[in-house]
Amino acid sequence: MISMHFPGRMFEIHPLDEHARTSRLGKLDARAKLIGVMSFVVACALLTRIDLVFASLIVAMAFAAAGAVPVRHTLRLYLGALPFILLASLSLFLFVGFEKGVAMWARTSACLLALIILASGTETFELFSGLRRLRVPSIITTLLMLTHKYIGLLTDELSRMTVARRARGFQGGRSLLDRYALKVISYTAGMVLVRSSERADNAYEGLKSRGFEKEMIGWRTRRIAARETAFMAGMLAVSILLLAVQMELIR
Amino acid sequence: MRCLEIRGVSFSYRDGTVALKEVSLALDDGEKVAIIGPNGAGKSTLLHLVAGFRMPFSGEVLISGKRLDMDSADSLRRDLGLLFQDPDDQIFMPTVEEDVAFGPRNLKLDDIEGRVARGLLSTGIEDLAKRKPHRLSYGMKKRVALAGVMAMDPRILLLDEPTSGLDPRSRKELIKLLRSMDRGMLIATHDIEAAAEMVDRAIVLDVGIVMEGTMRDLVMARETLEKAGLEVPPVSKLFGVLESMGYQVENLPVSMDQAVAELTKVIDREGKHLHAHIHEHRHAEGGKDAHEHSRGRREGSKAE
Repeated sequence: MISMHFPGRMFEIHPLDEHARTSRLGKLDARAKLIGVMSFVVACALLTRIDLVFASLIVAMAFAAAGAVPVRHTLRLYLGALPFILLASLSLFLFVGFEKGVAMWARTSACLLALIILASGTETFELFSGLRRLRVPSIITTLLMLTHKYIGLLTDELSRMTVARRARGFQGGRSLLDRYALKVISYTAGMVLVRSSERADNAYEGLKSRGFEKEMIGWRTRRIAARETAFMAGMLAVSILLLAVQMELIR
Repeated sequence: MRCLEIRGVSFSYRDGTVALKEVSLALDDGEKVAIIGPNGAGKSTLLHLVAGFRMPFSGEVLISGKRLDMDSADSLRRDLGLLFQDPDDQIFMPTVEEDVAFGPRNLKLDDIEGRVARGLLSTGIEDLAKRKPHRLSYGMKKRVALAGVMAMDPRILLLDEPTSGLDPRSRKELIKLLRSMDRGMLIATHDIEAAAEMVDRAIVLDVGIVMEGTMRDLVMARETLEKAGLEVPPVSKLFGVLESMGYQVENLPVSMDQAVAELTKVIDREGKHLHAHIHEHRHAEGGKDAHEHSRGRREGSKAE
């Protein structure tokens, strides 16, 4: 974590997995979480009845509350994706009808909320290891892990350069009309890419020097415990119930 | 038995920068050799070249008697343990023990549990097994990286600036740790004092090999060191002055530990006394001629 002080304020740049340890979901096995959450997301995506879509949104919100991931963090991530959700909902609202538009918003919000809680409540490496253990091809999981490592290097370099820039009095970047600031930011972007590329080369050599060929997976593995089975079963039951009502198997 | 041999190796980067020129050296099993040089001397390049990451090069590198080339690099790397200058470049896994197990698992070595335990034990971090490496201090990360390398049980250790960025205590502990390890080591460093604590001999590198010998030989060749952008450690300078004052110094110390040992010998030889000559200096206007020493005053201090 990099932190620095400026007169009257403090900047903190958080690592990617900042809430995974404090979340209630953090201690659960990634495989159980993946199966449970993904089944819920698939079920949500198949719902068309507006009442069921809203029920799924309530379930997602309850899941978020139970996960104990900070609301502010969840909202920040949700708001990042909201413009895309609204765009899709608005187009349905305009061309198909009000109800379809609202259903689209509620459905995607429910899916997104569940995925945000899954991603925030699980360490990224654990998540990818979980995918691998669920038989996702190693080429995909390894690429995800290496991409994660590279994003880490990029953000690390960006943090350093941002701190260095501000420590030398740079205040720009708040206006698109500030040509000097734009020039500085474009140089920074270029330098970040060059420096992170160098570090990525080092990391590649680090991997090769430790015998890496194609697989990155956790060493220790354990059996899924009873509470994890219960979590998985609960999520699966909710998903099946929603689908059963949708398909009018249950009235 | 010879574990590494480098014969007339030259290497240039794509932009034409010559990084290494006609470098030759040999390393025996269990021998520790320091490669000393200023920034940009080619120390790291040499280590990375030996590890098969800088190709093509001219000359020949033999690891355990086998020639290093594009085809053999991956298999020969099994005999090498490369410790990077920045430990973050070689720590990948979410916990310390997972990271230590990473290399042995990739190489499909036996007894991973035992290797991890030995790696952690040999680097003194067995208490950190379940910790997250990215939350550790820089010094501890260096130990984690070293434990990961040790778990692979390499024949040769290639250490790139192992003491750089460490606080004095971590530096001292790492030096002690490396000194106690019984395997061939090539240590790239510009920390002459640390090298003196660890190695049997040293090579001054500045693109090509400038000189080779024991650490004492290197320190004695002050001009050569300075030409290569290095400086004699202050403690060696101090003992050089003592020697010029007439005290017989058996081994010119390079590090503080060696200095303490040498000083103890001098004190023992002088009958538990260490004499210091104190001159009174008078500086007045008028340049060189105005610098006078008052003679005939001598004070002795007793060191027991």
